[in-house]
Amino acid sequence: MNCPRLKDWFGERYDTGALRKYMRGKLLPSHRYSLWYYTGGIALFLLILQFVTGMLLSLYYVPHAEFAHKSIIEIVTKLNAGWFFRSLHHWGAQLAIGILFVHLFAALLLKSYRKPRELLWYSGFILLGIAVFFGLSGYLLLWDERAFAAVRVATGGAGALPLIGNFIKAFLRGGIDVTGETLTRFYAFHVSILPLLTILLLALHVLIVQIHGMSVPLSRKDDLRREEPFFPNVVYRDLAIWLVLLGIAVTLATLLPPEIGQKADPLAAPPENIKPEWYFLFLFQTLKLFPGDILGLNGETIAVILISGGIFILFILPALDGKSRSGERSPLFTVLGIGYLVYFVIMTVVGYFS
Amino acid sequence: MKFLISLIFLNILHTSLLWGAEAKPAVEVFPATPIYQYAIYGNLVIFWIGILGLLVIIRMKLREIERVQRMGLDKEKS
Repeated sequence: MNCPRLKDWFGERYDTGALRKYMRGKLLPSHRYSLWYYTGGIALFLLILQFVTGMLLSLYYVPHAEFAHKSIIEIVTKLNAGWFFRSLHHWGAQLAIGILFVHLFAALLLKSYRKPRELLWYSGFILLGIAVFFGLSGYLLLWDERAFAAVRVATGGAGALPLIGNFIKAFLRGGIDVTGETLTRFYAFHVSILPLLTILLLALHVLIVQIHGMSVPLSRKDDLRREEPFFPNVVYRDLAIWLVLLGIAVTLATLLPPEIGQKADPLAAPPENIKPEWYFLFLFQTLKLFPGDILGLNGETIAVILISGGIFILFILPALDGKSRSGERSPLFTVLGIGYLVYFVIMTVVGYFS
Repeated sequence: MKFLISLIFLNILHTSLLWGAEAKPAVEVFPATPIYQYAIYGNLVIFWIGILGLLVIIRMKLREIERVQRMGLDKEKS
């Protein structure tokens, strides 16, 4: 498609030539690990997919405890392709969170967080946290018995944190227990607060990538470095991967549409074998490892403190890894990264099959 | 013929998925009418054919770009 008049219109008003020159001049290092560079673009694509399908669903969803469940049933059963967009939103979320974890572990093991890209790590880590909270808040919007019980467990777990735990629990629930107030609150988080934070942080994240360029692993630094243009080479490859991913998301949405349970009843007993979404399973399984009482202290509180500590150490890793900061190899932190990855995978698998 | 075989295969796949389910979901989250199901599976097959076609075009385009770059013609142009 070539529109010379439109190009001229923009060209007379804005310096599009500079942007074109920047795009054409942008080079990406090419080495055996450059495949991992694409995970960021995939996450971005899935995020856009979530925004689009979420916008469509929000046109018909009613964020009220009395009508939420009914409105979703109507979306699924009465609207043209409503079931498909709801299913696509569900599977898009699963894939997005999955790919964000892959992106995080790739950055961790390739030490992409090292100087001067610390801010990139911090902003990405917070973005993953936001994505997980997106998942939790979106899950409650279904307002069925399983979602209700799972959110009750998740927010209850946050309450086990000493000092600030009860405040976080009350803040998330909007009261003592999970009620219609929680639904209103989670809806506000899901459709306005979290998207706004995501856009701001994502803009910062992408801006930092543009400033510093892509990180090259230390093991590849000594190689004869080959670079390839971002536009059009990498853009075309990105496009191909996005197409395949869209196909996978659409296939999953068609073949495995997520179920809708009975409407949530705060007074009813929770359904048996309640499990959180897969990305919470490693936390859930860790909590199960701890006994109720350890040396007179609450076992759940100790577990939550240890988990929070583990996550905090991962967050401040760029500050701890001094060797990487000064451009040296740091095998200790590679082992630590592999440890985190193995623990996450094993606990998730055990949690899924238990 | 291939199209029909694909439709039958997808229908068997869907039936087997339902067979494995422990209980019927409380709400029908997928159209129950057979004609709609065939239309959906048919559309899914066409969608994948479209994706594969686009992938082939992108691959050809990329190879052409790389060939031009190897010859250094892109630098001459700018």
